[in-house]
Amino acid sequence: MIPEYAESLARQLSFDPALSRSVRQEVEDHLWEAAGDGSPELQRRAIAAFGDPQLIARQLAAAAVSGRARRTGVALVLALAGVFLAMNARLGWYELTQWGVCEQTRTLGDAVALVDRLAFWCAALGAAAAAWAYRRHLVAFFVLCAVTTGAILTSVACDAALTALRLAGWEWSTYFAIPLATMAAEIACAAVLVAELRATPLAYLRENT
Amino acid sequence: MLGMEGEMLKGHLDMIVLAALASGPAHGYAVIEEIRRRSGDAFNLPEGTVYPALHRLEEAGLLSSRWTTAESGRKRRVYALTKRGTGALAEQRAVWKQFSAAIAGLLAGRTPA
Repeated sequence: MIPEYAESLARQLSFDPALSRSVRQEVEDHLWEAAGDGSPELQRRAIAAFGDPQLIARQLAAAAVSGRARRTGVALVLALAGVFLAMNARLGWYELTQWGVCEQTRTLGDAVALVDRLAFWCAALGAAAAAWAYRRHLVAFFVLCAVTTGAILTSVACDAALTALRLAGWEWSTYFAIPLATMAAEIACAAVLVAELRATPLAYLRENT
Repeated sequence: MLGMEGEMLKGHLDMIVLAALASGPAHGYAVIEEIRRRSGDAFNLPEGTVYPALHRLEEAGLLSSRWTTAESGRKRRVYALTKRGTGALAEQRAVWKQFSAAIAGLLAGRTPA
């Protein structure tokens, strides 16, 4: 009786396998302790005292989704700040070393840089809108986070293209360390953000909107 | 003693759970037992509703949890107040004292000192 009850509760949290597993263990532990010797009658009473599994699952899901939203929001802000800092560190390095752009690729570079700037501004606006939606509308919040992530990915892709254009034609040297390291940092920021966003409990959001 | 209304308790559940953990780390079942013992069985909530509160408080950084193995061999999640949780409880205690003094005064028809 108890395993079935715990399973029915855990099933409703299947959008988050780790949460589902831990809730199942926690609820089973509670119910076996409440059921004493484990007789069917005591198991039945323990389950009755525990309450409606659907209601409890909904409340647990709400707590988990709110935590997920907070983590996604923090990841978004950190990724945006990380990309901004890495980008500026690289541009600072180019200035310091007077590392110019090859004339043949200047037009292409200017076009990519324009897209980069637009994408970054879109990301900044998206992050501001997501911050506004955070406590008001969870679905809107996650949608805005997804849009912002798309803009950040575009900006990082443009930065990668610009870095490749800037490094092209030069012999490998220690001067490459800063552009490559800052580019790696940008990619890492974007990857962390994508991983965080991929864990969005879409099923829960669909059911509760 | 009469069981308190569920709706009335829900608004204070987080504070109740924090207070139950003030005496030391405990697992969910022990938290519920502590609430029962300290309230003289006045709080009549479905036991399961304490778990969302525990999870919510952990998400908010007011509780921390770790898994241990009980004597029975079952895995058990034990919760403890964090520093922030202790602070939040002290704050809520002060607010509650003010609130209950105001209500007591109101019901008794006197002006609070």
